[in-house]
Amino acid sequence: MKLEVKNLKKSFAGTEVLHGVSFEVESGKALGLLGRNGAGKTTTMRILMDVFRAESGEIHLDGKVFKPSHEKIGYLPEERGLYPKRTVIDQMVYLARLRGLGTADAKRNSKKWLKRLEIEEYETRKLETLSKGNQQKVQLAATLVCDPDMIILDEPFSGLDPVNAQILKEVVGELIDDRKLVIFSSHQMSYVEQFCDSIAIIDKGNVILEGDLREIKKEYGQNRLILSSGNHTLQALNDKIKRSGEFPIFVDGITKDYLILKIEEAVTKNELLAQLIHSDILIEQFGSYEPSLNDIFVERVGDEA
Amino acid sequence: MRKFSIVLKYELREYVKNKSFVVVTLLLAIIGAIVLFAPRFFDMSWLVGTPSEQQVTVSDEETKGTMLLYDSEGLVNQELLSGAFPNVTWVEVDSVDAIKDKINSEEALAGFRVVSYTEYDYYILNRGIYSVEDSYFEAVLSASMRQAYFTENNLNADEIEALFATPITMNEQVLGKDSTDNYWYSYALVIIVFMLIVFYGQMIAVSVTNEKSNRAIEILVTTTTPNSLLFGKVIAGAIAGLCQVGVVLGAVLISYQMNRELWGGKLDMILNIPTEVLITFALFGIGGYLFYAFLYGAMGALVSKTEDISKSSSGLMIMIMIVYFISLMQLSNVDGIAMKVLSFLPISSYSAMFVRIAMGTVEMWEIVVSFVILVASIFAAGLIGAGIYRMGTLRYGNPVRLTSALKELKRSK
Repeated sequence: MKLEVKNLKKSFAGTEVLHGVSFEVESGKALGLLGRNGAGKTTTMRILMDVFRAESGEIHLDGKVFKPSHEKIGYLPEERGLYPKRTVIDQMVYLARLRGLGTADAKRNSKKWLKRLEIEEYETRKLETLSKGNQQKVQLAATLVCDPDMIILDEPFSGLDPVNAQILKEVVGELIDDRKLVIFSSHQMSYVEQFCDSIAIIDKGNVILEGDLREIKKEYGQNRLILSSGNHTLQALNDKIKRSGEFPIFVDGITKDYLILKIEEAVTKNELLAQLIHSDILIEQFGSYEPSLNDIFVERVGDEA
Repeated sequence: MRKFSIVLKYELREYVKNKSFVVVTLLLAIIGAIVLFAPRFFDMSWLVGTPSEQQVTVSDEETKGTMLLYDSEGLVNQELLSGAFPNVTWVEVDSVDAIKDKINSEEALAGFRVVSYTEYDYYILNRGIYSVEDSYFEAVLSASMRQAYFTENNLNADEIEALFATPITMNEQVLGKDSTDNYWYSYALVIIVFMLIVFYGQMIAVSVTNEKSNRAIEILVTTTTPNSLLFGKVIAGAIAGLCQVGVVLGAVLISYQMNRELWGGKLDMILNIPTEVLITFALFGIGGYLFYAFLYGAMGALVSKTEDISKSSSGLMIMIMIVYFISLMQLSNVDGIAMKVLSFLPISSYSAMFVRIAMGTVEMWEIVVSFVILVASIFAAGLIGAGIYRMGTLRYGNPVRLTSALKELKRSK
């Protein structure tokens, strides 16, 4: 199963908020939609789910026009909510049945997911009596209760404590292993980095970076090195490189542990290393730089996520 | 259709599981039945009017007491006065002040000062709604005047009085409908359907708004169609309402039929409803209910807080109230042009056509046309309601105006 989103445009009250969003994702893989608040992630997901209609653009599933009502989709919206005064099991069975399951399967799946998310003891309780974190887990269980082929999760980790976040991480991992197509948005780059094979960074309604995460990281790390010294502080090392001009490199960034250096194209890493060895710099760390997703995000979007 | 039936069953189960709904329904039915079975166990002759020894005694006691008469000219015939007030002790006084003093000190119930045969003053401490002493006294004074005239002119009083009081036998044959028989149950049924529409309409609006306020609506509209959701919700409400009214009305009507003789037919005017009237009431009543329920559902979708429902549904409420008042006011003129027009409009036919059928003259084609218009309007209201429901998804904050919702709906088509 391959989902292709092409050139989505959407306006609200005459203001265009999506300027041509495109990305693609396949079964057994997860796509992380990244972006700052108001970037257009939720709007994109709502267009996917037909909550909003795009003014233009196409969505195809395996080459055919994508109709969410014809597919088995588990959708966890950003605006969480179910019926607070009804019991957990009742509303889960109800939603499962609305998504096409028979009564027996709906009950069985409801119990299965409540157990998997470690909230089976609350099945006969009214939703409003549960803690916020457990309500969110019920919501996630309701998302997955119909055994969907495609799972769309909008900020699934928000509001979860570290233990529950770990459970969710495991569940998402299992879904990917189960060859499900997963799309999720998150501000927490570490989660995206762990699950996602591909990412799409949306900024002000535009996809500014999209593709395979490993490729992106490789590309961002190309010609970049890390360096730290045993006899220079990072600031002193930075000053030395900039002032002396004796090395064919320039400083691209400073982290708390090392300098990020960009090497001139004509110079190899071995040549640079030889130069450094013969200088007064006592090398502590030297190697290829692999940027974190957070680094890439900050670099592209221009602020801390 | 499958999803509609799932929504319908789910919503219906919520009504059945709602303890207050079940308790209120059963309680009303039981209370109604107990009241109507009461004559089997208690002496209700004071209410149902069955003659009995006790009733006569009570009646006599009610008219007992002292009354004052200030008749300086001696115009009032004492024999007639005693006959009209058999248990009253009459005390003659010679001044208005004496009348006032005795009444204020509650020594007498009332007092009369006779000025002439055609004029008298009536004194009483507190006048009740059903006080009849003055009209009795007036009849005595009038008869006294006639007696005086007959005596003065040597006429046979008994013969003349008998001539004026000749009994006339009337054999009425109502060929159409008797409004005096149908008036009260028509009145009651108009009120019942009005209450059903307002009560259940509000419940549906609240239910829709709650789905927005608790943010369940996004899950629901991405899970099934708005048509399934709104039609399921409204029809579940209709079935629940029908069951509630059916149980209560059924208990009351059956109980009354079982005890009708004991009630002496006193409640026939309300509870002896002909079957064809009940069927018409059910058809047009349910139709009107569904029509308004869909509109209430749409009004609920225009707001995101339950406290704002009254704002969005005020126009609907005014329309229902106007129909209600016109229907009640026109009960005495059911074949008038106002009722004829209202009986074809979907906003009012649930009440007007039913009243015309119960009390007036109406052709079969009129009933059919009116019902077809009503059914078509129900579907139109349902589709527009579902459209607004879908459009209202994720429209949080200030209430959306109905006109802008309709414009947006038209644009999106």
